[in-house]
Amino acid sequence: MSKLRNVAVVGFAQAPIVACDEHHTAQEMLYPQVRRALADCGVERDAIDYQVAGSADYIDGRPFGFVAALDVMGSWPPRQDLHLEMDAAFAAYYAWLRMQAGDCDSAMVVGYGKVSEGSPEHVLNLQLEPYYLAAIGLDVKSTAALQASAYMARSGATDDDLAEIAAHNRAAGARNPDAQVRQAATAEELRRTPWAVQPLRTGYLPPVGESAVCLILAAEGKAEKLCSQPVWIHGLDQRAEMQALGGRDLSRSASTALAAQKALAMAGLSRADEVDLLELSAATPAEEMIVREAMGLDAKGSTRPAINPSGGPLTGHPILMTGLIRLGEVFRQLSGGAGAHAVAGARRGIAHASQGHCLQHNLVFVLGRERRWS
Amino acid sequence: MKRPVAVVGVGQTHHGSRRADVSIAGLVREAVDRALLDAGLEHKDIDAIVFGKAPDMLEGVMQPEQFLVGAVGGHLKPVIRVHTAGSVGASTALTAVTHVASGLFERVLTIAFEKQSEGNAMWALSPNMPFVAPLVAGAGGYFAPYVRAYIARSGAPPHIGPMIAANARDNATRNEYAHLREPITVEDVMNSPMLWDPIRYLDTCPSSDGAIAMIVASEATAKKGPRRPAWVKSGYSYAEAMWVPGRDQVSPRAGKVCVKAVYDGAGITDPWNQIDVAEIYVPFSWFEAMWLENLGFCDVGEGWKVVDRGEQRFGAQLPINPSGGVLCSNPIGASGMLRLGEAALQVMGRAGAHQVEGAKTALGHAYGGGAQYFAIWIVSSEL
Repeated sequence: MSKLRNVAVVGFAQAPIVACDEHHTAQEMLYPQVRRALADCGVERDAIDYQVAGSADYIDGRPFGFVAALDVMGSWPPRQDLHLEMDAAFAAYYAWLRMQAGDCDSAMVVGYGKVSEGSPEHVLNLQLEPYYLAAIGLDVKSTAALQASAYMARSGATDDDLAEIAAHNRAAGARNPDAQVRQAATAEELRRTPWAVQPLRTGYLPPVGESAVCLILAAEGKAEKLCSQPVWIHGLDQRAEMQALGGRDLSRSASTALAAQKALAMAGLSRADEVDLLELSAATPAEEMIVREAMGLDAKGSTRPAINPSGGPLTGHPILMTGLIRLGEVFRQLSGGAGAHAVAGARRGIAHASQGHCLQHNLVFVLGRERRWS
Repeated sequence: MKRPVAVVGVGQTHHGSRRADVSIAGLVREAVDRALLDAGLEHKDIDAIVFGKAPDMLEGVMQPEQFLVGAVGGHLKPVIRVHTAGSVGASTALTAVTHVASGLFERVLTIAFEKQSEGNAMWALSPNMPFVAPLVAGAGGYFAPYVRAYIARSGAPPHIGPMIAANARDNATRNEYAHLREPITVEDVMNSPMLWDPIRYLDTCPSSDGAIAMIVASEATAKKGPRRPAWVKSGYSYAEAMWVPGRDQVSPRAGKVCVKAVYDGAGITDPWNQIDVAEIYVPFSWFEAMWLENLGFCDVGEGWKVVDRGEQRFGAQLPINPSGGVLCSNPIGASGMLRLGEAALQVMGRAGAHQVEGAKTALGHAYGGGAQYFAIWIVSSEL
């Protein structure tokens, strides 16, 4: 592998996650975030070389939903541009690759989408193989329940364990002003919520919501000018698995394990617990346990490193933005902007993004306050 | 780009109105198998996969690449899915180029497809945006006013679009993969029903099922391959905002900025004389004349005259779309990559019966959105 460039997150702005913003279009939600992220870097739009967006037409309920975002991203004069039909964290991954190719020194990464325009259950059913699987009517809660069952059967995890994980996230989310659900709940309270799809209770499922996110990346030399504490990307990797739910071991996440191993190796680390905090795109407590295990961490209970100090997806899950928000949260933590949910003294962190049913496709970033390569 | 990148394999499907013999996965797999065979590689040699297609609503599957990961040998590999409207196939291939240029990947499989028979393209391309009066007229209804504006500005006579359509069909008779391979005359086009004035039925692209896959690789892999590669000299994708006062959709600024960046990167100063063949995105016949100007092949107002003199025909100075182009096969999400892939095949010397003799430098182009997204590359037979 040739020499890698140091690239950092230098700006981040996020609309608070809500179930439905009745007063704004997706573009109106995004525009203030673009302005805030640029303002934080002290620059105007022309100072940024490249732009890449992540969103999905089915979330907006119309084809070409991303076209209208060009205007609020300031695409005049014309900009070097790409749009990914993916969680916007993958747009950040691609912007990093683009900087490694040497074509640009800075990039704006945005994520947006109004899930309230449609029905998430029906939309996410359409992610499944169309001829046999989607036609059954499986939704994301049912596939998540299959995965939770598989994990509990293998590991011996109990309903109480799931409740504890959910309660931990809820307690953290109460300190995050951008979270959608800000009421803490005890494990006992959550364990008394009704079944959604066994073994998942309504209290173990994420509130689906909408937001808009803008993140600015810059390469060494430019990053230091845009941000007093850039948060450097030390390592990253992403892996997809075949979708076939019967063709893989749903109790494990092989793609997360491989992506984490590669990202940690790039960062010069051997273990995920060498970082101070992790933000995980796990949409249920069972998914969180599977992801923790795939990264070589305790599946439950530990206090170091900190897991989801923002409250994670269980306190706000804007579909296909959840991963980019994890990256933004690690930036906030390591640059000193996390406020009431700050992890004291945090110097390194991991941001994890996931999309698809049953943790099908996973992306891992390892980040730190110091430059990785000299 | 940090290091050289080449196309080492190209595979496409036969295109048709309805490929009822295959599922979406089967269609994609057909292109992937051909591309791997062409490159002399196997699934295990592939480091990453880059998918592209146009709106998911065309087939009614959200992020179909997710269920396709297994079908294309993508299990436990990095996967990216691109969507930039009609330009998507071209920007997808450029995304694969970035993967290799970054130095992190040696061989990247890139795939673009559309199986339009599984849905209704007219419906899927008629976005009903909140708070905006619905046009519900498909792409032809959107672009017809800009064709009229081009004719008004340039004084082009009415037979130019039909000449382009007839020439495209003539070219496609030599392309075994093309969807529409029956020749038509200028009179046939002019006598066909008017759909969106001045765009007639035979000025219009078909709705196709089809896929293309390519393998993009590093210099070391390309030099080891069984065949002559196509070297990517330069490639960029640009987009422009929709609601800008004075935005010119007849000759969009994003197209001009994009092609200038591509020419600068490839050392092209005189495109008409330095480029041997071009595959450009022409879904409605008149756009060939319009893009000749936007791409700098001729002066403003001269595009239709190039067509009238037949200088862009097969065997003439600068053959445009010797494959027959989008007018003869339009699996929307794949159409842009087909333009880039056909350009690569030309400089590899493997375009079959529609090979432009001695082609060394070729341009591939696609556009999308409301003429907002552009993705262009120049490929060469020499590093």
